[in-house]
Amino acid sequence: MLENSLSVLLSRLDFAWITSMHILYPPLTIGLSLLLFVAEWRWVGSGEEHWYRLTRFFEKLFIINFGAGVATGVTMEMAFGILYGPFSQAAGPFFGNILGYETITAFMYEAGFVGLMIFGWGKIGKRMHLFATFNVMLSSSLSAMWILVANSWMQTPTGVTLKNGIFMVDNWVKAILNPDFLLAFPHMWIAALELALFFVAGISAWYLLKQRHVALFQRALKYALFALVVVAPLQIYLGDGLGRVVARDQPAALAALEGHYHTYNPDGSVNSGWHIVAWPNDTAGRNDFAITLPHVLSLLETHTLNGKVTGLDHFKADDRPPVLIPFYAFRLMVAIGFFLFAVALWGAYLALKGRLGSQGAQLPRTFLRVTVFSAFLPYAAVWTGWWTREIARQPWVVYGLMRTSAGVSKMSVGAEVLWLIGFIIFEMIVWGGAWYFFAKVVRKGPDMDSPVIEGGHEHLGHLEPPHEGQEQPEYPRPAY
Amino acid sequence: MQSLSVIQNELSFIWWIALGLSFMLYIVLDGSDLGAGIFSLFVRDEDERGAIMASMAGTWDANETWLVVAGGIMFGSFPMVYGSAFHYLMIPLMFTLLSIIIRAVALEFRVHSDSSKRFWDWGFGLGSLSATFFAGMALGAVLKGFPLSHGVLPNYEGGDLRFLSAFSLWTGVGAVVAASLAGGLYLRARFERRCPLYEQAGNWVAANFYLALAAVVVTLIWSLFAFPWAASKWTGPDAWIWLLLGAIIVFAAVKMRLASARQQDMTAMLWLSAVVVLMWGGMMATMYPWLVPGTWTLYDGANPSNSLVAFTLAVGGFIPVMLMYNWYQFWVFRARINKLAAYAH
Repeated sequence: MLENSLSVLLSRLDFAWITSMHILYPPLTIGLSLLLFVAEWRWVGSGEEHWYRLTRFFEKLFIINFGAGVATGVTMEMAFGILYGPFSQAAGPFFGNILGYETITAFMYEAGFVGLMIFGWGKIGKRMHLFATFNVMLSSSLSAMWILVANSWMQTPTGVTLKNGIFMVDNWVKAILNPDFLLAFPHMWIAALELALFFVAGISAWYLLKQRHVALFQRALKYALFALVVVAPLQIYLGDGLGRVVARDQPAALAALEGHYHTYNPDGSVNSGWHIVAWPNDTAGRNDFAITLPHVLSLLETHTLNGKVTGLDHFKADDRPPVLIPFYAFRLMVAIGFFLFAVALWGAYLALKGRLGSQGAQLPRTFLRVTVFSAFLPYAAVWTGWWTREIARQPWVVYGLMRTSAGVSKMSVGAEVLWLIGFIIFEMIVWGGAWYFFAKVVRKGPDMDSPVIEGGHEHLGHLEPPHEGQEQPEYPRPAY
Repeated sequence: MQSLSVIQNELSFIWWIALGLSFMLYIVLDGSDLGAGIFSLFVRDEDERGAIMASMAGTWDANETWLVVAGGIMFGSFPMVYGSAFHYLMIPLMFTLLSIIIRAVALEFRVHSDSSKRFWDWGFGLGSLSATFFAGMALGAVLKGFPLSHGVLPNYEGGDLRFLSAFSLWTGVGAVVAASLAGGLYLRARFERRCPLYEQAGNWVAANFYLALAAVVVTLIWSLFAFPWAASKWTGPDAWIWLLLGAIIVFAAVKMRLASARQQDMTAMLWLSAVVVLMWGGMMATMYPWLVPGTWTLYDGANPSNSLVAFTLAVGGFIPVMLMYNWYQFWVFRARINKLAAYAH
C-alpha cells in the first residue's frame, strides 16, 4: 500500500538523515553560548584573566560547531518544501508561520551577533562584546523555542481545524502553547545545556588527565560539575513529565516506545509490565521475547500500581507506529540520562571532599576518563530522543490529522536516492571535519600568551596577521 | 468578508514585497561573497585565498542568512508556492544546498587546517561557483513556470528534470557572470590598493563588466520572445516607463564602471547595488501579479488572512531591526586588509 511505498520510505529516510545530522550542532550552540556568556560576564565583572582565557578558548570550538550548524540548518529549511511539499502547503498557516518567525526573529538575529562575538574582539568595546554574546545566547534559545513549537505541534496539534485540506488556525495561543511544547521545549533546552556542560567538563577532564593548564581547567570542571548536579536530575524529571504527556495525548506512540502490545493480560487483568529488553514483532503484534518487570509501566505512566495503559492492540493495524527503534532508542536515552546524573553526583562528591579545589589536589584518573567519555553520551541521548519522538509519531506527520504518506512530495525514487547519497557524503564531510578540528583546537590548547584584549582599541575592520612575527608586505599601509 | 479579503490582498502584497526585498538583499550581499569565491579559483597565492575568506569572516553568515529569511517568509506567507516550487526545483536546490554546505564549512574550517588548506580552498571556490550557477538556474526555471496537480493542495506535477532548459542553463551562467562582477568590486573595496590582488581584481572587474552587459541584453531579448507576460508589459501602453527604467539602469552601470576605473571602490559597489536593485525591482514589476509566472499569483499562493495578520504582527517589525544590526556589522568590519590578514579567533 501507499504508506509503505519505497518513495515514502525514502522521503522519511532522507529527512531522518538531514535532521539527525543537523541536530548534532544546535544543542552545543545553544548550551555553549549560555556558558560563554556566563564566563565572559564573570570576566567583565571580576577582571580575572582565566575567565577571559576560557571564553576565548571555547569560542573557537563554538564557531566550528556554529558553521556546521548553519550549513546543515539551511538544508533543513529547504527540505520541508522539497521532500514534504503537500505537508508544507497544508500546514503553512501554522507551521510555515512558525518557521518564518524562527528565521526572522532568531536565525538572522543570531547570524548578526555571532560575527560580532567571534570577530569583534578588539574592534568593539568590552561591554558591546558582552552584549553581542548575550544576544547570541538569547537568539539561539529563541530559535530552539520556535523549532520546538513547530515540532511539538506536529505531536499534539491543538488550536487548528483541518478545512479543505488546510490547517486553519482557530487559536494561536493554544496552537503555540500546545501540550507537548510545554514540556518538550524545556526538555530540549536542558538537553542542550547538559550537552554543553558535559562538552566543557569532558574537555577539561582531558586536560587534567594530560596535566596541561591544570589551574584553568580545574576551575572549568568544577563549575560544570556543580551545574550538572542540578541540570542532570532536572532533565530526568522533565523527561518523566514529557513521558506522561505522550501517554495522555499520544497513546499509540507511548505503547510503541514501551513495546506495550496488549492493554490487558489474557486473564483479563491490566497489563502493567514494563519491558527491560524485548524483541518486538510488529507483524504478529507481540514481543517474541521480553524481560518484564510487573507494575512498573503503570507506576511510570499513571503513578499507580495497576493503572491502565493503552496497548497497541487498541489501534487499527495501519495506525500503529513501528516499535523496534522507538523501544530501544527510548531505553538508551533514559539509561544515558541516569548515567550522566551518576557522573555528576560522583563529581560533586569529589568536589565536596575538596579534591577539585584550586590547590592542585588530584582527581582519580578513572573519574577523569569517565568524564571524557561522558562528553559523547549527550549526543547519543539527543539522537535517540529525537528518533523516539519522530518514529513513534508515525504513521502520522501531524498526529491524528495528517498521515505521513499524504504529506510527502511525489518524487521519483531516483531523485530521492540521489538526494540521500549527496547529503550522506557532504554531511559526513561536515561531521568528520567538525570533530577533526575540535580535536585539533583542543590538542593545541588555549592561547595563554596573547595580551588580553580589553576593549575596542584596534582600528575598526582590522584583521590580525596569521602568525606572530611574520613580515608585512613591503608596500606601506595607506593612511586613513 | 469583503474587508477580510481586502486585508488578505494587502498583506499578501506587503509580504510579496518583503520576500522580494530579502531575495534582493541576498543577491546584493551574498552575491559579492559568492563572486569573491569564484574569483578565488583564479588566485594562485594561498595567503591571498585565505585573506579573501578572512575578509568576509564577520559578515558572510549574516549575508547568507537573507536567503534563509527569504525561505522563511516564503514558508510563512506563501506556503502553496513554497511547497510546490521547491518540489519542482529539487535537483538545482539540492546542488545549491550541497554547495552552500561545503562553502560554509570551508570558511570555518580552513583557518584551523594546515595540510588540508587546499582542499578547503577548492571547496570554497567550487562551492561558490556551483551555488551561484544552480541558484541562477533555479531562478530561470521559476520564470518558466511549472504544471500543478489538481486538487485542494495543488502540488508540482512533472518530472525531476523539468527545470532543465536552455533558458535555465543560461540564467545559471548569467548568475555566475553577475556574481563575478560583484565579487571583483567587493575585493577592490576590501583590499589595500597596493596589493597585487587589487590589480588582479581590477582586470577581473573590467572583463566581467562587459560580459555582464552582454548577459543582461541577451536575457532581456530572450525573455521578450519567450515570455508573453513579460512582452505584454514591456510593449504595452506603459512602454515609456520601462524605457526610462532601462535608461536609468544603463546610467548606473556606466557610473559604476567609471567609479571603479577611478578607484572609488565603495562608490562602484554602491552603483552596482543600485543596478541590482533596479533590475530586481523591474523583474518583480514585470512578473506582477505572478509569483511563479503562469502558475501562482501572489494572491493564490498566500496563506489565509488570519495567518497573514499573525505573521505581520509577530515579525513585521523585525525587518527594519535586522537591517539595522546588519548594517552595524558592516560598519565594524569595514576597513581594507592585505594578504596577511587572517581569521583572528
